[in-house]
Amino acid sequence: MDRQPLIKRKTAISYKTEEKTVVRGYSVSDLAEAGYTFYDMLFIIFQDRIPAENEADMLRYETGEFLEHSMSPSAASAIAVIGGRPNLPAAIAAAVMTFGSAHGPGAAHGYMMHKYIERARVEGKTLEEMGKILVDEYMDAGLAVMGMGQPQHLDGDPRAEPTHIKHEQLCSGVYLALQRSIEKHFNARRKKEGKAFVAVNMIGAGNTALAELGFSPNAAWCIGCVCRGFSCAAHATYTMKKGRAWAASKREPMVQMLDLSMIKYKGPADREVPSQAERQEYARKQKEEGEYKKWTI
Amino acid sequence: MDHLDDPRLNFDYRTRERGTVPMDTERDRFQWVSEVAYKNVHRIVTRGYDTTELVEQGYGLTDVLFIDFQSRIPLLEEDKMLNYVMVCMLEDGLSSPANISRIVAGGKTILTQAAGSSILAFGHAYGAYQEIGKMMDGILARQAKEGKPLAEMVEAVVKTRLNDPALGVSGLMLKDPMAKRMIARAEKSGVAGQYVSLMKEIAKAAQKLSKDPVDIDLLGATGAVMFDLGFTPEATWGILAVTRAFATGAHYCEEIEREAPVRLGQTLTPKEWYDGPEDRPVPTLEERKKVAKAMEAQTPEEWKQTFLERQKIMGSGWAIVEEIDDPRRKI
Repeated sequence: MDRQPLIKRKTAISYKTEEKTVVRGYSVSDLAEAGYTFYDMLFIIFQDRIPAENEADMLRYETGEFLEHSMSPSAASAIAVIGGRPNLPAAIAAAVMTFGSAHGPGAAHGYMMHKYIERARVEGKTLEEMGKILVDEYMDAGLAVMGMGQPQHLDGDPRAEPTHIKHEQLCSGVYLALQRSIEKHFNARRKKEGKAFVAVNMIGAGNTALAELGFSPNAAWCIGCVCRGFSCAAHATYTMKKGRAWAASKREPMVQMLDLSMIKYKGPADREVPSQAERQEYARKQKEEGEYKKWTI
Repeated sequence: MDHLDDPRLNFDYRTRERGTVPMDTERDRFQWVSEVAYKNVHRIVTRGYDTTELVEQGYGLTDVLFIDFQSRIPLLEEDKMLNYVMVCMLEDGLSSPANISRIVAGGKTILTQAAGSSILAFGHAYGAYQEIGKMMDGILARQAKEGKPLAEMVEAVVKTRLNDPALGVSGLMLKDPMAKRMIARAEKSGVAGQYVSLMKEIAKAAQKLSKDPVDIDLLGATGAVMFDLGFTPEATWGILAVTRAFATGAHYCEEIEREAPVRLGQTLTPKEWYDGPEDRPVPTLEERKKVAKAMEAQTPEEWKQTFLERQKIMGSGWAIVEEIDDPRRKI
């Protein structure tokens, strides 16, 4: 049996022999035997260190609340993909991949925090001052301030503020100070502009805590998004076992997700297909008129 | 000159209705139906428990996995055992998920693309939890029905699946104690049940039947323990594939930190690795009429001949022979 890796890489993360798997110098089996938890392992793999107990507690809290978020783009994707009844991992993979610039933009928020903490250091400003600068710069440029607002939880994500409080209790530091300042100045400016209050979301709260725990922007993003993969696996499995494949059956008492009546079409009106004899002239005219550009995506 | 007036068509293609289907007002409107979770403006609830209240009470990710998949709060020893399994499953060196994550990272992608794609490595050989679960459930169901001794039932199954990557027993963990320690830990902590017992029987049968030394491997140990913790084969498949995906995020980061991105057209394939047809001139479109011949078989005998010919073409898929009653079951 060929046990050689497919790609050859120098790695500082782990090695595996016939005798053991070693992560950052620690035997994985010995870690498990010694009673280290999955939360500890995430510190070891991403940060090459065993966390203090308060840090592991914060990560337990965060991952526990990140895991399930009912119907979000990720769960909806898992459910849609499993409708075709592929292997379960395909649905879970699709769900994790929904995380991008709108759904949980954790890495981007982390990089934003780094940039402004560094500026506070270089420019000799407090984090409180820097929070205002960040908000003004983003809002003046017409950019969304990351970490604020959630389209479903209009009064604020129910997890966010408790996460801040837990963060304050367990591992407060520069990231929380900057994030709190951003929230304060963001809403002060909105108030001045006659706009409604917008609460911190789980990027603003959760990602800030992960950054404080020492996770890089990408590592924090990984933890947040992959964590959701667990619940998406549950949603996909539920749909696979108890839902209708294809999601279009007329026999179900409820209109299904892909029932034909769910389609609303707003594109060009139905038109005749030109014959091949007419095609070249038709296509030339169509290109010249340029009406198609209205529909080009 | 089309076929849209062909009388064999199921309906009149010339007079088909245009436009979309009106809203169905006879049935209930579409809603996301779930037994797993719901949320409203102020709450996120899984299996009846508010998730913020759960974490405020000290429950964590591993507890919520029991809640999401089994609708119950685990015993402390069960939670500890799940942690044990997940600690062991997080990292596996440069195995398939890490490789996939690194390859995707090389295209200068975002982390979620790489970590998500790593989950696709889990199939019916690598991390074959659905398969091994079905096999074990099948043995237990048959034993319950037929009442024969377990050892006898197991041996009959193992005889036909000795080299099956989903057996849970192989030569992979002969020198690495991880699998054995996991089984021992499950027994010591009181969470081992019928699946751990069955896996030990499978190992015993395989050791009797195999010419080479074999023992419970990581699939066998993690599978049996997860099933005894009450997770279904599908839940186990999902949970452990996602567990591995966390570490592939570290591999994504390292790939970007240490390696240059890979561009379209950059990667070469050495000619000495190629064993297809010799290099040959491309026929002109005129010559094509003489060179190309249609391959449609008109009789079963002709079909068999072309079938066998096609099997010689590596990469055509004809040499993969499977009986697929359900395309999800790819054995």
